[in-house]
Amino acid sequence: MTGFLQNISFILVSTIVMSIPLVFAAVGGVFSVRSGIMALGLESMMMTGAFTAVVGSYFSGSPVIGFVCGMAGGMLIGILHGILSVRYKVNQVISGIGLNLLALAATTLLMQLLWNNRGNSPQVANIEGTAVIFSGIPIVGSVLGRLPVNAYVMLAVAGVSWYVLFQTRFGLRLRMSGENPKAAAAMGVRVHGVKYTAVAICGILAGFGGAFLSLNHMDMFVRDMTAGRGYIAVAVAILSRYNPAGVVLCALLFGFCDALQIHFQGGGIPTQLIQMLPYLATLLVLTFGVKHIHAPAGVGKYDDD
Amino acid sequence: MKYREKIKGMVLPAVSLMLAVLASGAVMALCGYNPFEAFGAILTGAFKSKSGLAQTFTQATPLIFTGLAFTLAKKTTLINLGVEGQLLFGAMAAAVVGTIDLGLPGVIHLPLVLLCGMLAGGIFAALVGLLKVKFGSNEVIATIMLNEIAALLCSYLVNGPLKAEGAVSQTEKILKTAYIPKLVPKYQLTFAVFLAIAACILVKFFMERTVKGYEIRCVGMNGKAAETAGIPVGKMMVTAMLISGAIAGLAGGCHVAGVDHRFIENFSPGYGFDGIAVAALAGENPVGVIFAGIIFGALRSGAMVLNRTTSIPIDFINVIQALVVILVAAPLLVKEIISAGKRNKKKGEEKS
Repeated sequence: MTGFLQNISFILVSTIVMSIPLVFAAVGGVFSVRSGIMALGLESMMMTGAFTAVVGSYFSGSPVIGFVCGMAGGMLIGILHGILSVRYKVNQVISGIGLNLLALAATTLLMQLLWNNRGNSPQVANIEGTAVIFSGIPIVGSVLGRLPVNAYVMLAVAGVSWYVLFQTRFGLRLRMSGENPKAAAAMGVRVHGVKYTAVAICGILAGFGGAFLSLNHMDMFVRDMTAGRGYIAVAVAILSRYNPAGVVLCALLFGFCDALQIHFQGGGIPTQLIQMLPYLATLLVLTFGVKHIHAPAGVGKYDDD
Repeated sequence: MKYREKIKGMVLPAVSLMLAVLASGAVMALCGYNPFEAFGAILTGAFKSKSGLAQTFTQATPLIFTGLAFTLAKKTTLINLGVEGQLLFGAMAAAVVGTIDLGLPGVIHLPLVLLCGMLAGGIFAALVGLLKVKFGSNEVIATIMLNEIAALLCSYLVNGPLKAEGAVSQTEKILKTAYIPKLVPKYQLTFAVFLAIAACILVKFFMERTVKGYEIRCVGMNGKAAETAGIPVGKMMVTAMLISGAIAGLAGGCHVAGVDHRFIENFSPGYGFDGIAVAALAGENPVGVIFAGIIFGALRSGAMVLNRTTSIPIDFINVIQALVVILVAAPLLVKEIISAGKRNKKKGEEKS
C-alpha cells in the first residue's frame, strides 16, 4: 500500500515538474498569438533560454543569474521574431522554423567554441530548492514538499497572465491587435508597440521555461535539449484556446505523459517505446481536440493585406 | 520577359546566401579564425580533388531529395517538416527488405528495396495530410511529433529486434543484390545522385505538364478558387504529401542501399531539416533544388576537409543554412540591407 502511494505521489510530483517548462512556454505562446504573431518559434526561444541560462550559471556560479540570462536569451529571440514579423512582414511559419533551426545550429556551434564539446556543456550550479513549508503535512506534504519553487512561480505566472490578458486595458489592446489590427490602429492603439511587447513577454517566458529545463531538470545543456517541447507547447497553447488558465490544465496532461514515461522506464517495456508517449499524446490531441478552435483572426496577417 | 522574371526570382536566394556566408564569416573572424582562408579551404576542399568532388556529390544527394520533398509539399501550402522522420522510415524499410534473401537478381531486388523505402515514407506523410484535411490538425506540429516518434521507433528496432551482433546499434548488412552500384570505385558516390537529379526533373515535368500537377499548383496558389473550380483540394493535399514523403523515403532508401548498406542509429545528421534550406535557396523550383543541393553539399564536404585541419566546427554550415531560410522568408529585410549597402558605397565614393 505504501509502495502504491509512493508511486502515485512520485507520478504526481513528476507530472507537475514536467509540465512547468511547457506552461511557461505555452503562456508565452498565448501572448504572442493573442497579439497576432504565430508562436512556432517557441522552440528556439526555449532552446536559447536553456543555453544562455547554463552560460550565465557557468560564468557566475549562481543559478539565479542563470535564470535571468535564460530570460534575456529568450527575449532576444522573441524580439528578433517580432522584428521579422512586424517590420519585415515575413511568412511567420517559415521564419519560426528558421529561428528554430538557427537556435539548434548556433547553440551547438557555441558549445563547441566555449567548451570544445558538441554533445553537452559541463555541469553548472543548478536550483534544487523545494518549498520546505509544506513538508510537515502528511500525504499532501509529500507531494507539495517535493515540488520545486518554480511550480508556485508557474501558478503565479499563469494567474497574472490571465489577469493581464483579460482584465486589463493592456490585455484588451493586445487582443484587439491580434483580432483586427486595422480597427485597433483606428482606435488609437499603437499596434506595433503592443506586438513587440507581446513577443518580448513571450520570449521571456519561453526562455524561463528553457532555463528550467537546463537548470532544474538537469544541471547542464545538452544538444537539442528541448527535443520538440517548443512544438508541444504550441499544441498546448492551441488546446487551451489561447487562455493562460487553460494552459496549466492542458500542460498537466502532457506532463502526465512525460511522468508516466519516466516512471515506466526500465520496467520491462522498451525505453524508446515509452518515450513516445508525450509525442503520441500531442498527435492525438491535435487530431481530435482542436478542430473547432480558431486562432485570433489577425494571426500571421499584415496591415496591408 | 519570362527569363527576366526567372532571373529576378533567383536574386533573393542568391543574395540571402551571400549575406548568410558574410554573417558566418564575421562570426568566424570574431572567434579568431581567418574567414577568407576558411572559405578558401572549403572551396578547394569541395571542388579541387577527385575525392573532394565525389564527397560533394555524395553529400548533395540526400539534400537534393529532401529539398525536393519539402518543395513539393510547399506547392500546396503545406509545410512538411516531417521529411526527417519519413527519411528514417524509408531507410528502415529499405534496410529490412534489403536483408531478406528472396533469391532475386539485383535488377529486381534493388528497385524493390527503394520502392519499399518510398512506400514507408509516403504512407507516413500521407497520414499527416489526411489528419490535416480531415481534422484540421496543424501539419507543422504533427510532422515534428512524427519525427520524434520515427526516431524513437527506429532506435528501438535497431537496439532490439533488428540489432546486428556487435556493440554498434545497427541492423544486419543488406544483401549485395540491393547495393546501388558505385559511380567511381573506392568513393562513396553512387548512381543515387542521378536518381536524385532525375527525381527533380520528373517532378518539374509532373508539376508543369500534367493535369494533377496543374491541380496541385492551383491549390497552392488559391485554395478557395481551386475548390470553386471543382478541384478536390483535400485530395490534392494528401497526394502532394504522399509524393513528398515518398521522395523523402527514397532519400533514406538510397542512403541505406548506397552508402551505409545497413541502418545505423543516428545516421542522419538532420538531412530532413537541411532540405528546408535547400528548398529556400532553390526558390522552391524543382530544378533549382539540384543546384541548391550541390551548393550546400559542397559547403558540407569542404567543411569536413576544413574540420580535419582546423578546429572550426562543421555546425557553422547549419548556421548558414538557417540564416538562408530566414533571409529568403524576409525579402523586405534583404532589400533594406542591399539599399543600405548601396548608400554606404555612395557615401564612400563621395568622400574620396
